[in-house]
Amino acid sequence: MTMDEQALIDYVTRQRWFGAKSRTVSHSEVLDLVTIRQAEPQLSVALVEIRFDTGAHDIYQLLFSGSVDEPFDGLAEDASIAREIVSAMRTGLTLQGSQGVAEFHPAEDFSALGRELGAARLVSSEQSNSSVVFDDALILKVFRHLEPGINPELEMLRFLTDHGFRNVPALGGWYGYSGGPMTATLGLLQEYVAAAVGGWELALGEIASAPESFLDRLGRLGEVTANMHTALGADANDAAFAPEEPSVESLGLLTATVDEEIARVFLSLPEDEERLGPILGRGEEVREQLRLLTHAGSSGRVIRTHGDYHLGQTLWQNSDWVILDFEGEPARTLVERRRKRSPLRDVAGMLRSFAYAATTAEQTRGADVPHDWEERARERFLESYLETVDATLLPPGEAAIERLLAVFELEKAVYELQYELDNRPDWVGIPVAGIERLMQQAAEAL
Amino acid sequence: MSEQWFERDPLWFKRAVFYEIHIRGFFDGNDDGSGDFRGLIDKLDYLEWLGVDCLWLLPMYESPLRDGGYDISNFFGLHPDYGSVEDFREFVEQAHQRGMRVIADLVMNHTSADHPWFQESRADRDGPKGNWYVWSDTDERYPEARVIFIDSEPSNWTLDQLRGEYYWHRFFHHQPDLNYDNPEVQEAMLEVLRFWLDLGIDGFRLDAVPYLFEREGTNGENLPETHEYLKRIRAEVDSRYTDRLLLAEANQWPEDVVQYFGEGDECQMAFHFPVMPRMFMAVRREDATPIYEILDRTPAIPDNCQWGLFLRNHDELTLEMVTDEERDYMYAEYAKDPRMKLNLGIRRRLAPLLDAGRDEAELLHAILFSLPGSPVLYYGDEIGMGDNVYLGDRDGVRTPMHWSGDRNAGFSRADWAQLYLQPLMDPVYGFQAVNVEAQLRTPNSLLRWLQRFIALRKEHPVFGLGSYKPLPAENTRIFAHIRTWEEDIVLCVHNLARSAQAVQLDLSEYAGMVPVEMLGRTAFPPIGELPYLLTLAPRGFFWFQLRQAEHVE
Repeated sequence: MTMDEQALIDYVTRQRWFGAKSRTVSHSEVLDLVTIRQAEPQLSVALVEIRFDTGAHDIYQLLFSGSVDEPFDGLAEDASIAREIVSAMRTGLTLQGSQGVAEFHPAEDFSALGRELGAARLVSSEQSNSSVVFDDALILKVFRHLEPGINPELEMLRFLTDHGFRNVPALGGWYGYSGGPMTATLGLLQEYVAAAVGGWELALGEIASAPESFLDRLGRLGEVTANMHTALGADANDAAFAPEEPSVESLGLLTATVDEEIARVFLSLPEDEERLGPILGRGEEVREQLRLLTHAGSSGRVIRTHGDYHLGQTLWQNSDWVILDFEGEPARTLVERRRKRSPLRDVAGMLRSFAYAATTAEQTRGADVPHDWEERARERFLESYLETVDATLLPPGEAAIERLLAVFELEKAVYELQYELDNRPDWVGIPVAGIERLMQQAAEAL
Repeated sequence: MSEQWFERDPLWFKRAVFYEIHIRGFFDGNDDGSGDFRGLIDKLDYLEWLGVDCLWLLPMYESPLRDGGYDISNFFGLHPDYGSVEDFREFVEQAHQRGMRVIADLVMNHTSADHPWFQESRADRDGPKGNWYVWSDTDERYPEARVIFIDSEPSNWTLDQLRGEYYWHRFFHHQPDLNYDNPEVQEAMLEVLRFWLDLGIDGFRLDAVPYLFEREGTNGENLPETHEYLKRIRAEVDSRYTDRLLLAEANQWPEDVVQYFGEGDECQMAFHFPVMPRMFMAVRREDATPIYEILDRTPAIPDNCQWGLFLRNHDELTLEMVTDEERDYMYAEYAKDPRMKLNLGIRRRLAPLLDAGRDEAELLHAILFSLPGSPVLYYGDEIGMGDNVYLGDRDGVRTPMHWSGDRNAGFSRADWAQLYLQPLMDPVYGFQAVNVEAQLRTPNSLLRWLQRFIALRKEHPVFGLGSYKPLPAENTRIFAHIRTWEEDIVLCVHNLARSAQAVQLDLSEYAGMVPVEMLGRTAFPPIGELPYLLTLAPRGFFWFQLRQAEHVE
């Protein structure tokens, strides 16, 4: 291989899916190359190591098309490599690289897998992977940052489908690599949910124009979320999914983790940011609230969860919700994303996104959002969720549920605070209001 | 075959933080008063949170427990108190899923006298196992071999009444040495290794490896035959498995220990015993010289090998690798009560050795984590657990883990009297005062500090992989050195004194760079041509990343 190392670094670090933009890259290397089409232009799957100046490294998947001397990702140029991948899944190919093999698998009973692939388009919005949509019927997701082990999206879709949860897109197939460098899921094929409107878009459109009907939809979302959690906690025989009693110190571990996060974020708050006013200098107070919230009580059972749950991960199609993207938070390690947690963590994520929806509708659409909309949305969603979900998964009693929910919302809001400070300072007000509200609520509950 | 949860990395152990676990003392999963693998599985979330990479298990095999399990009576089964082989397999899988590897102690040198091999050997000298142990009709052979357990064993030979011959034992008399001159014994031990490796274990800590062979006219330690056999084991492991580790326990001087690395074709890791007492000595004397000296005396090792470093472990704080004068000093300073001494060592835990000093605990961890090697933590020391010097042998440092202030320290739901040992109850180190639950909830606790510190070390592979360059200064109370790996340059400065100190370091080689303190990410003044002046709090330390000025905000 004669690929120029610096060219490869330049290429990879420019990509949207390159997740370590703040770090300095010192080396790169192609670890293995699996050719999926020999004929010109040659197409291949590559595992590329990116080394940072601290000596740590990440491994990314690149799809080379044409000469491998010039590093560029075929997927961005044309869809032929995506077609080759889908057809390899169809036939269940195993292809040899120099360090290992790539295996392609069709999902059972997936009728759409046999169809001819027509028009293809690249979806460019994803942060940690790349997707190609065929005929608005199938979507191929290519995971970029690779980590050893099974990808949670593949694992979760298979499990949910097997356990009768219907509000997810059907799985079409997947491909993975195993060999010298690692064993990892490389990508998967799914049904593309066409003629759907995103939950986030729907919220922005309807909050002001049709608030009542949107609240009804949120009621349904609460049910669907509850069904998802009930299904995820339904199989005691599958070790990867069996619900577990948390260990005695699980609440302590959660407290310690969230507390470190709060301390870290508050340590570096800029003092000249006006919008931080209500919480500035109150880090110790927030930490104290956290300790009070986690002072005692049960944390319920832990199960596998969605992991990155918010309105942006939902679609409304044919009068019902479809839940998407079970990969978990892209910034977390695979080990963390597969960790069992209380289902209330997903619930908290969704509740936080209601706050975002209300503010965004006002700020970007000029919508006149009813002042109590967020409160009502929360109530509606929670009410139907709690009525439907397998109650044995939750801590016993309303007060315990509220407390644990508040802990997760606090965790989320503090994460948002850092994210907005780094990326969108104009939005800082949303997490600030969230943290303020949680402190007030905690004070009232005590 | 279980899923593969790790990137292939034959050198994973060089970046790892190890955590040593006494299974019996960790957590009781079946309420019988003794820790077990079900209990260990329950605590994996805690260990994952702590951030350790590899769990090292003390012996778990069937054993009459006359030496804490280092007297094995069946290499293919677990002690029934710990659970079944199936439990063990489940534990390994669960640890792997959480990104942690598992190595286990394996005693190759000897077995328990209860082992059927020994029973057969003593019953029939002409039978198939007749030659599996080291027998002699006299107790005069190998006189140069020292007695290790001087407090309990008068000789390395003991007469067996049944066979009418003496058998050889380097440790307790109930632990007869296997005869590695017998090829069948060599084969049998390889079969033991394969059995556990097939169950998914990531390697072994090979107990007492220097003593496998005996030769007349030698002290019976570090013999060429021993190295030859260890190389054979390594070749066997490498040919069948990937990313497995052999860690040698050879309590010897560094120049002898390095032989256990071979040419990178023997054990990948070995403990660095002599550096350990010198860290304690340096803190007590407020003088960095002992640490500098022992590191100067430490030969280079092959690139694919690593030192294992530790402050305390399940044995006594061993003083075999110090001079008599140094030993007297250590006894005088750290073992004021004669009960605290055992053999050539001090049987105390870390916190009591440091008189519960928090600054001292942080300083020693900082030195440990900064040295070239992989640190090994001992269970309980992360919360500053104490010991009980009134218990026999080394039991005083093997009491149950303090999980909470609840009954039995949250360790077990059995009756208090049923516990294998009772948790500590004294007002300073007792479980009401020192436990995981309370420290998790206390932001400035030792446990929370150590968790952050482990995370910091793991962000910088330089600590595991980098070169080491001492920076001795005129002020000998300061231990300073530089670690470098690829573009990562780290300056570590530790104040061993009880008083504040100033130090001038010659950093001219790095002129123009900016030291950025690693815990708080504060940029310090840039380095110039003149000596760099630092002031340190009593027992304080700084770790700096040296960065190019243009990379510092």
